[in-house]
Amino acid sequence: MNYILSKSEMESAFVAISSDFQVYGAVERDGDVIFDRVAGFDQVSEERSRYAPKEFLMKRNENVLILNVESKKAVFGIKSCDLKGFYLMDKQIFGKDPFYTQKREKTLFANFVCSEPCSGGFCSSFGGPVLDQYDLQILREGEKFHVMVSEKYDRYFREFKKETGTFYVDFSNRFNSKLEPLPVEGIEKRIKWNSELWKEYASACISCGACNFECPTCYCFDLYDDGNERKKEWDSCILSGFTSSSAGNIRKGLDERLRQRFYHKFVYFKKSKDTYLCTGCNRCVEDCPVGIDIKEVITYDYNGE
Amino acid sequence: MIGYSKSPVNEGKLCLKGYSGLSYNFSKERLKYPLIKRNGEFVRVSWEAALTETSNRLKKIIREYGPDSVAFQSSAKCTNEENYLMQKIARMIGTNNIDHCARSCHSPTAMGLITTLGAGAATGSINSLDDSKTYFVIGSNTTEQHPIIGTKIIKGSKKGKNLIVADPRKTQLAEVASIHLQFNPGTDVALLNSIMHVILEGNLEDTKFIEERTEGFRALRQELAKYSPEIVEGITGIEPGKLREAAKIIAKEKPTSILYAMGITQHVHGTENVMSISNLALLTGNLGIRGSGIFPLRGQNNVQGSSDMGALSEWYPGYIPVNSDSVKRFEILWKRSLPTKTGLTLSEMFDAAVDGSLKAIYIMGENPLVTEAAISDVEKGIENLELLIVQDIFMTLTAGVADVVLPATTSLEKEGTFTNTERRIQKVNVIYDSPGEAMPDWWILNEIGKRVGGLESYDTPRSIFEEIRKAIPNYSGATYENIYPIGKQWPINEENPDGTEILHTKSFPIGKGKLIPIPYKPPVEVTDAKYDFIMTTGRNYFHFHSGTMSRRADVLERESPEPYVEINTEDAKRIGVRDSQKITIESRHGSIETNVRTTDKIPAGIVFVPFHFDESRVNRLVGKTLDPLSKIPEFKVVAVRLVV
Repeated sequence: MNYILSKSEMESAFVAISSDFQVYGAVERDGDVIFDRVAGFDQVSEERSRYAPKEFLMKRNENVLILNVESKKAVFGIKSCDLKGFYLMDKQIFGKDPFYTQKREKTLFANFVCSEPCSGGFCSSFGGPVLDQYDLQILREGEKFHVMVSEKYDRYFREFKKETGTFYVDFSNRFNSKLEPLPVEGIEKRIKWNSELWKEYASACISCGACNFECPTCYCFDLYDDGNERKKEWDSCILSGFTSSSAGNIRKGLDERLRQRFYHKFVYFKKSKDTYLCTGCNRCVEDCPVGIDIKEVITYDYNGE
Repeated sequence: MIGYSKSPVNEGKLCLKGYSGLSYNFSKERLKYPLIKRNGEFVRVSWEAALTETSNRLKKIIREYGPDSVAFQSSAKCTNEENYLMQKIARMIGTNNIDHCARSCHSPTAMGLITTLGAGAATGSINSLDDSKTYFVIGSNTTEQHPIIGTKIIKGSKKGKNLIVADPRKTQLAEVASIHLQFNPGTDVALLNSIMHVILEGNLEDTKFIEERTEGFRALRQELAKYSPEIVEGITGIEPGKLREAAKIIAKEKPTSILYAMGITQHVHGTENVMSISNLALLTGNLGIRGSGIFPLRGQNNVQGSSDMGALSEWYPGYIPVNSDSVKRFEILWKRSLPTKTGLTLSEMFDAAVDGSLKAIYIMGENPLVTEAAISDVEKGIENLELLIVQDIFMTLTAGVADVVLPATTSLEKEGTFTNTERRIQKVNVIYDSPGEAMPDWWILNEIGKRVGGLESYDTPRSIFEEIRKAIPNYSGATYENIYPIGKQWPINEENPDGTEILHTKSFPIGKGKLIPIPYKPPVEVTDAKYDFIMTTGRNYFHFHSGTMSRRADVLERESPEPYVEINTEDAKRIGVRDSQKITIESRHGSIETNVRTTDKIPAGIVFVPFHFDESRVNRLVGKTLDPLSKIPEFKVVAVRLVV
């Protein structure tokens, strides 16, 4: 259901949610926006967080021998591109990975829809910031808040004024016309196995893993034993030890592993799940120390090579 | 683990060790309780018992044999406050036997650059590298060892900046370089002299800079005359045309920044190598402006800081020579008369233990049984000690043979300051609780210092920091408030209240820069019919030093799980070995078994072995010929043979 709320009404919805959940929000610390506990809706920053909030559902490093009972959390101020990452991950690991699944079910995400395109982001290529799947989707218009609420959490908003009409659709169209979508459609057919791009990227890449670790859709992990614990830790497909078998990694060259990452996002995931494994957040570009740009992989003229 | 985007050091970018390296912090193998060895077995004791017994045993040794019978090994992984405290304790006890791993990495930098420029530190900032037109990288595998600085160079080179790489191995930077000078290990002085020869030959030197800001040009010119590229080719193996081209770019396409690391310093001529680099920078006027300068890349988070703090046997804090009158300022500050005799360096400590003059070593966060040259001598020395104290976060090989093991906290669990490779003083805060009864190094030192050295007690790291500000003029303007969150570069004082990004803009601390003629001398180890390969040692991208931390970070350990030797593919064919095959490497000093890894990135006749692995310690093969000036061992040139 869609609602329209004033500032003070947002605060009272926040209070109601706070009584059921541990509440986190995007907040500024020393110039970077991070997630921390917040006590009021007005404390939540509208700036995008420094990192994708993956740790709420998938800790960088966690013991997986015991499935602890998790508390319910509400996270305010995540951006649509980051939230969409979880919906994409769901297709692969929801219901299969019990650690992820439990947290996923117990976490409420209140995503903020960006009012303007950010620098570098290309979310319009994947539908734009107004998502069709959400818990609470919030768009501020001056002093008013337009809120789309999923059925699961509708009870927190029933007392507020319902909004009908086409506000979100109109906003979405306006936004996407301001940020011209990249020609992503059909990339799975255009992308080229023997492209020079992969070798060029490999000559600069230092295998830091930033593109994986910062990506809101990357979910792969390493599993290892440490004393009386078995631990799961974020992993990177750029590394040669990733998925290596007794014969080593079947993708010997860094160029092959970089290509695999893009093929997974734009070819294999599309074939198996009928969607691309990318939300246009641009985080992998921003944190790549050598400037490898996934947008170039989409727009590159493979035929012209 | 997220990079801080406002940091001028890395702009929030991390390498794999940043992203995946810190899980060691949560390892179940962390030391949690003080341990004392009784009848060959470690027994858990209380802190009070550990501190009392350790102090009493130290005091007894000092009483019986004098203060010089005790030595301290500090750590470039520990904070400034901890390094300051450890050297203060040593000196208050009455000995300058205080040293740390900077001895094995950048002691030639301190010695060399203090002599020629007056400051043993990077002359510019990491950020200023953006303004370079040319990068000259020598003896540094930058993308593997200082990856984020490496990426600056990669990006610069892709944008069309000049990149000259001098390295025996075909590193990633060498692959993208405009010119790769793949010279023979240990011939750095010949190579650098020859580059300068070409510069003078073409009148490409910066005459104005030489005249106004340097001295000793005439003598240098005389020496350089001998190094025509045609003659030097026989030494370095570099084709004269290529060398001429490189020299011209370095001199003409200014500003040029010169970056170096262990490939320059870990030689018996390490200090002379550094001085040659200084000669080149002075000769071409590449100092004092953004984009130019000399960048000794530090291998640990706090090598600069621990050296600044005087955790070195020849210097008090702020590089005050131990035998100078200026030591008086510390006598006033610490209210005690202080030792003025140069102390033992790292490698000399174990020799002194072998000959019986050294009775006790107190090691903080170091693992010499893996990292020190000539390990068999280290073993003999340790065996001969009456007392070995090791303070660490894990049971390292060295801790395993100690009499007392004190459990410390990691940098994520303590407060303090570090000074990085660009002289930036940065603050760390407590992020996690420490396991068991592990305590911060400064706390442990404080407790021991009170009991043994009559040290006045410090309540917090901050109170030590405040004393450092009084002890070291270059740090005087740094405060907890102004160094957080992004840090400040020293000198920071009344004159430079905001710190100093670029050193030597108008003059050098010693007035004029010194040009010093350096004659080329060959490395001590040479090949012969029996030992027919040259081995060079170093780190790889995935591991850090003795692997104490990185080998407990599973992603890193998975990437590099076992010891190996890199051998040129043709050499491997010739001697009949293939990938993963076990092979024995023998030098004149020892032998190890390891696994073959063939590669084309290393030239024929040379092999590379990383030093991270307990199970195959390459430092068994390294001799202990020391650079007479800085006392650094020659880790980079060892004659070996491969036995299949």
